[in-house]
Amino acid sequence: MIDYLMDSAYVKSLPYLWEGIQLTLYITIVGLFLGFIMGAIAGLGRLSKVSILRWISTVYVEVVRGTPILAQVLFIYYGLTAINIGEITAAIIAITMNAGAYIAEIVRGAVYSIDKGQGEAGRAIGLTERQTMRYIIWPQAFKRMIPPLGNQFIISLKDTSLFSVIAVGEVLYMAKQYYNTTFEIFETLIMVCIFYLIITIPTSIILRRVERKLDV
Amino acid sequence: MIKVRDLHKSFGDLEVLKGIDAQVNEQEVVCVIGPSGSGKSTFLRCLNLLEEVTSGEVIIDGDVITDSRVDINEIRSQVGMVFQHFNLFPHKTVLENITLGPIKVKGMYEEQAKDVAIPLLEKVGLSDKADAYPDSLSGGQKQRVAIARSLAMNPKVMLFDEPTSALDPELVGDVLQVMKDLAEEGMTMVVVTHEMGFAKEVGDRVLFMDEGIIMEEGNPKQIFDNPQNPRTQSFLSKIL
Repeated sequence: MIDYLMDSAYVKSLPYLWEGIQLTLYITIVGLFLGFIMGAIAGLGRLSKVSILRWISTVYVEVVRGTPILAQVLFIYYGLTAINIGEITAAIIAITMNAGAYIAEIVRGAVYSIDKGQGEAGRAIGLTERQTMRYIIWPQAFKRMIPPLGNQFIISLKDTSLFSVIAVGEVLYMAKQYYNTTFEIFETLIMVCIFYLIITIPTSIILRRVERKLDV
Repeated sequence: MIKVRDLHKSFGDLEVLKGIDAQVNEQEVVCVIGPSGSGKSTFLRCLNLLEEVTSGEVIIDGDVITDSRVDINEIRSQVGMVFQHFNLFPHKTVLENITLGPIKVKGMYEEQAKDVAIPLLEKVGLSDKADAYPDSLSGGQKQRVAIARSLAMNPKVMLFDEPTSALDPELVGDVLQVMKDLAEEGMTMVVVTHEMGFAKEVGDRVLFMDEGIIMEEGNPKQIFDNPQNPRTQSFLSKIL
């Protein structure tokens, strides 16, 4: 039985897919981390009193949200020929820029949702605007960002599969390479889907719990 | 302590304050009464520039705070404000609510700030709640914490914006008692309120506002027992 299992096409594809899995997770995590920084800046930019910051942030968010990520990654990798970057760098930039735009909206919404009285109370005791944001508004807003950020993690994880078009060795690309030689297409793709689900389903469950906890 | 000269405030086309002149002397308790929409809250919020004034002057302890060169954060740290809806910081404990200002604005060490906060909590009768979060407190307790939070900055003036309007009737008394104690200690206070009993008993002076101007002012006895302005008469007859 065990011999049979170990010998099956499903299991045999694993060592090959494992390399792709690592790269998928790496791109997602690094991209989302940088995307959060990007999103925080753009999100606060959209709420800024300075109109030029508001304008730049809005253009960024609207351009990224209004174009397909596949076009974005092709543009970054092939379009920007002036700067010759590797495919993994291009992938990380694409996830960062893309997630950043959606996270900007998450940040903006969360900060905006905090009661105006909170900011006033902070200002009334003499905190500067920056201190009020840092000690009063942001900590409360951040809690409200957690569920949508988890959601964005799931979206970005799946988006990395598009990077196979620029030959990034993420899990779907590795799968294609593998079944092109073995022709075990069904078995390999099942394993790829199982990998995605192993990450996404627990994330969803945790998110639902966090959401319920934040509700009270 | 506070001087207001020809203060105007508009929101867009709507002129809410139409020329306010007022003065609050040191250690004086001034109560501002009037129907809703009369501009009394807006007037109060102009005193620490939570609302930008459209024109006119506000002078606090000699500083023209409406002058754009003035450091407004510095001024605000000397003017306490208590809000109708408390506005406690829900992610911080009662103690942290009170020490935040002293630590971040005045640059105190945590221990120093605690030494300031704990007697204040005793003063408002909540020393056992230091480590509680605001959500676990009643409205009256929240408002007393909010008062302690303002007092921790050692303000020259305290502004109260309808401090008991959001409270259940049985909780109003404790808050008013704390305010009364403060007044007796000689705190300069401006109180926007619907508590006519408080205005009568504690107020040194009462301002009656309507339609964005001060219609009548005087000591509580004059205003409540012998109002001159027909607006004041009609307002008081409706609520008393």
